[in-house]
Amino acid sequence: MKRWLGLYAALVYLFLHLPLVILAAFSFNSSRFTVWQGFSLHWYRAIFQDRQLGESAWNSVIIAVVATIFSTIAGTLCAYGLWKRGSALLSGSLYLSLVTPEIVMGISLLALFQWSFRWLHWRLGLHTVILAHVAFSIAYVVIVIAARLRTFSPALEEAALDLGATEWQAFRFVTLPALLPGIVAAALLALTVSFDDYVITSMVAGVDSETLPMVIYAMARRGASPVINAISALIVVVFGALVLISERMREA
Amino acid sequence: MRRVVNRRIFLMSAAGLAGCARGRPRLNVYNWSNYVAPDTIANFEREFGVHVRYATYESNEEMLAKVLGGNSGWDVVFPSHNRIPPMRQYGLLAPLDHARLPNLPNLEPRFQSPPWDPRLEHCVPYMWGATGIAYNRSAAPPPDAWADLWNIRFKGRLTMLDDPEEVLGACLLKLRLPYNSTGERSLRLAEREAIAQKPLLRAYLNAEYRDQMVAGDILVAHSWATTAQQAIDAAPQLAFAYPTEGFPLYGDNAVVLRESGRAELAHDFINYLLRAPVAAAIVETSRTATANAAAQALLPEELRRNTTLFPAADTLARGQWIATMPSATQRLRDRMWTEIKSA
Amino acid sequence: MTAASGWERLRAWFLLPAWIWMAVLFAAPFAIVIVYSLLTRGAYGGLGLPWTLENFARLLDPLYLGIVLRSFVMAAATTVICLLLGFPLALFISRAGGRKNIYLQLVILPFWTSFLVRIYAWMFLLRDTGLINTALQHLGLIHDPLPLLYNNGAVLLGLVYGYLPFMVLPVYATLERLDPALVEAAADLGAKPWPTLLHVILPLSVPGIRAGSILVFIPALGAYLTPDLLGGGRTVLIGNLVENQFTNARDWPFGAALSVGLMALVGVLVLLMLRSEREGLV
Repeated sequence: MKRWLGLYAALVYLFLHLPLVILAAFSFNSSRFTVWQGFSLHWYRAIFQDRQLGESAWNSVIIAVVATIFSTIAGTLCAYGLWKRGSALLSGSLYLSLVTPEIVMGISLLALFQWSFRWLHWRLGLHTVILAHVAFSIAYVVIVIAARLRTFSPALEEAALDLGATEWQAFRFVTLPALLPGIVAAALLALTVSFDDYVITSMVAGVDSETLPMVIYAMARRGASPVINAISALIVVVFGALVLISERMREA
Repeated sequence: MRRVVNRRIFLMSAAGLAGCARGRPRLNVYNWSNYVAPDTIANFEREFGVHVRYATYESNEEMLAKVLGGNSGWDVVFPSHNRIPPMRQYGLLAPLDHARLPNLPNLEPRFQSPPWDPRLEHCVPYMWGATGIAYNRSAAPPPDAWADLWNIRFKGRLTMLDDPEEVLGACLLKLRLPYNSTGERSLRLAEREAIAQKPLLRAYLNAEYRDQMVAGDILVAHSWATTAQQAIDAAPQLAFAYPTEGFPLYGDNAVVLRESGRAELAHDFINYLLRAPVAAAIVETSRTATANAAAQALLPEELRRNTTLFPAADTLARGQWIATMPSATQRLRDRMWTEIKSA
Repeated sequence: MTAASGWERLRAWFLLPAWIWMAVLFAAPFAIVIVYSLLTRGAYGGLGLPWTLENFARLLDPLYLGIVLRSFVMAAATTVICLLLGFPLALFISRAGGRKNIYLQLVILPFWTSFLVRIYAWMFLLRDTGLINTALQHLGLIHDPLPLLYNNGAVLLGLVYGYLPFMVLPVYATLERLDPALVEAAADLGAKPWPTLLHVILPLSVPGIRAGSILVFIPALGAYLTPDLLGGGRTVLIGNLVENQFTNARDWPFGAALSVGLMALVGVLVLLMLRSEREGLV
């Protein structure tokens, strides 16, 4: 049975990865059609010359980094607090936010912003997108850190208390360092989820906050273009590298 | 906790202001995709010393969804003509100061007092166009009427626009009813036609059909004239037909939003677009029909005579301007669209 | 001051950001959506005052119920296929010994790339002039291109492709915690591999299957992007319908009512799942 299982697994992995490999391969195609007509970096050059792409990529990075900082801090603290003593309401809300369809989350956040803007005299913009991204990424962070904490023994903190530390010091000097790899993994997850988001972002984005997925979507709607292949290949490579680095750090 | 909250506010304002703190005055323009030449915006920025944030949309609804709230942040948008009356009614449009628009006389006479804004109080016509049938010449005999889109020989190689107005309109015209019908009976008949057509249909696509038509996947497409012209440029075996039963006309206009605090700069921008060379350059790259007569005079011969973009007078006579729908009709159409899509 | 209350105070401070999140970015938006669902649509969009339950009454219209049903079927099909595809994979990884981590990373890796990119990859492959058709034509297997894109099958494929990792991970987590002694005991009692799988392993992996199913079913139910891009606008699922109300149709109250209905459904499913699982996800 193990042999069949192995063969099956290979097929599934092929299914998962082949489309992306093909996509990346054709980003080097000199023609825009699916007939291979020679190797070319033409589409990559086009990416770097496109101002809109550059701005939107930069927006995506800013939004992802800021949102990740906030959601990682809030999520880590929350996971730790829930580990001390659970809260059905908070756990339930986090879980619900995880499974809520993106379109519903998007419109509810849009409704919140539109409604509150009557008082605050704000507009949709980078700040609303960042808030929205924090909203949906906290749950991911909590899950990762909570899983980490499940393997952590509370006895270590108790030992620190016995030696005269305060609760905060116990957390800061005993638990936190042990959690660090998990925090890095959670931050990476939040970063990816935020960078990648289209549905929620498109609903709450403003004039100055067009993100990379929004540009890709607009391009995809206007018809296929190898530029999208090239962008996709770049995204895969960059995030793949980030994952590898984080794995290396985790094992260290 | 206060530390965290303050940091949050600080970081958010920093992120928000990062875009503003650039020194030059800014103008936010929201336009249809493919509606300017590659250097139109850059030239304006250089000449006026400003920074233009330029983004694009694919449908009026997309633009209106952002703008309706009254605090979208955009200064200049380009609604189609039949959206102007409701936008005016909702107080979304700023009145235009003709003194700041000296290039207005460049417009064609019929666009200097169009039916939707006879004194050009709120809008300046920009580009206009029509909807018809784009087809591959290999699909002989060539389709030239809406009724041809129901022909079984096109099964699986046909697309329609993903737009309730246009699809129901095409069905109405096929039935020899006016494009702007509002009566429920007429609309129900049109709906029945649309549902009958669905099995022949490949998909409901807007501009997305273009690459597939060029590649040969699609033989016949419900299309705007400008998209068709862009396809024809890429593949000469394609052509465009203005259906014999009649066809809808639309005009896209530049408007200044009332919420904009940069009305003067917005006027300068619109005036810049009205310049003959600028408009001509836009036509050459985007393949649209301009409302600007002075620009048309500057176009190369083959573009000026291009019947896809600038049809002959007798063809044009069959066209009907799309009317603004009363809201009850619009709700009925929306529901019908869901019914058609679910069929 | 006892140690217990010291922890309590720390906990209270630590949970504060999360409570703020819950109140401001989670509960408040939904509350507003509920309020919207009770209002009436303005003339050209926006909201108007008469409070009304009409939007909820519209939900019972057979047209919309049909859409809900179709979305359910699509989500259920996605979940079942993900389960069929994902369970053996999770089983394989859980038995892979030292290389578990690598195999796990390989499953998650596509997830790290953009969702849009993954959908686009399938558009690229399935189009009439896409790679699959071009290859088949080159090999002489077909003459005319197969219509692989813009139908329910393409949407299903896209959904399965996007959500497979969400099924594999929870099932793997449960299988990994499975006590190997149980499987050994079954073998000692003379059971062959297949019956062992059916009668020992499968029942014990139910918690993971349940978790994975929820994580696939609910997002698939509200999927919007996949049917939009891969379906060619030919079908309307709940996600498309909701999005449509907020853009094209400009009927915010009805869109809000649809969302409330959808969330009620989601809430019921989540409650059922949390109640029957002692160890939640968080």
